[in-house]
Amino acid sequence: MSSTDKPGDTEHRPTSSTPAHAPAGVDYFKFDVILRFLLFAASLVSVVVIVTGNETKFLRPAKFRYSPAFVYFVAALSVAGLYSIITTLASLYAIKNPALKAKLLLYFILLDVLILGIIASATGTAGGVAYVGLKGNKHVNWNKICNVYDKFCKHVGASVAVALFGSIVTVVLIWLSAYSLHSRVPK
Amino acid sequence: MEGEKRMSYEVEGVERKEMGKAVGVGVSACDMVMRVLAFMLTLVAAIVISADKQTKVVPIQLSDSLPPFYLPLTAKWHQMSAVLYFLVTNAIACTYAALSLVLALVNRGKSKGLWTVITVLDAFMVALLFSGNGAAAAVGVLGYKGNSHVNWKRVCNVFEKFCDQMAASIGVSLIGSLAFLLLVIIPVLRLHPRT
Repeated sequence: MSSTDKPGDTEHRPTSSTPAHAPAGVDYFKFDVILRFLLFAASLVSVVVIVTGNETKFLRPAKFRYSPAFVYFVAALSVAGLYSIITTLASLYAIKNPALKAKLLLYFILLDVLILGIIASATGTAGGVAYVGLKGNKHVNWNKICNVYDKFCKHVGASVAVALFGSIVTVVLIWLSAYSLHSRVPK
Repeated sequence: MEGEKRMSYEVEGVERKEMGKAVGVGVSACDMVMRVLAFMLTLVAAIVISADKQTKVVPIQLSDSLPPFYLPLTAKWHQMSAVLYFLVTNAIACTYAALSLVLALVNRGKSKGLWTVITVLDAFMVALLFSGNGAAAAVGVLGYKGNSHVNWKRVCNVFEKFCDQMAASIGVSLIGSLAFLLLVIIPVLRLHPRT
């Protein structure tokens, strides 16, 4: 669809008035939509997986909301999911409406970097606590809990892995936006 | 600088090449400052955390009838995997900041390909540093508060200096990761009027 848009696309933009210095720019908006949808799927899956991980053993329940780290994780991934829905729609709109593309790429980079910070810190937070739960720490006498709550630990581990994938997707998104934005700028 | 840029906008098309040059130089000047800042902050964070060690003699009372006996306990950074990860991410970011500073100085905004690679690596460093900060902060909060549900006792009432030093290091590293974040954002903002 966007390949048929391309000839019209160059007429809309004022920067393409000197074709020798200003190339039309590569157009990766289809990839952009796919990656943003992947980010949405990843954040949705990781939130659902960690929330459904509740387990009760020996009358003592293990829930994600008992640890502030996991609460932060769920909140951050929910924000990322919401953000990715909005930007997927914006990206789809830009495919229909090519005049917006350059401006949108700019905002995408700014917001993507912020969201990358949020997702990466959430992954680190949950991963750090999950590692202590998996291995324990004998120096400060924190016992491991994953030998007791194995289902809970599996859910947390899977969720952190999916969130890690999500942060890699965000890095690729930033790269894509930076590359296509820079190909639009005259030398 | 600003005025020069605006002037060359007015004669758009004729002075396009000149404008590109002016903006390119501006980008690298701001870029350098942020890179030096990021380098220094991550270096300081890494040094502070790697110097973090506290030995404290703790009285342990086995029973009420016996007098307490004293046991020296040591808290060191490498006892906690999250802190080790934090140190490694800071060291990587510090090395990368120094390398990219040299590359940017050599390049001076000439090569577009290199600019793209550096942007991607900056974004990658943002992710790395933020995850390291998150991991260390999560373990730090556990140390301050403990977790009653899984019976993890807090340790910061004993090792106060250790915990304070760790918190300071995390704070410095957080500012360093914000510097990396700005390194991605600022060149894009500079591009704004041109797209």
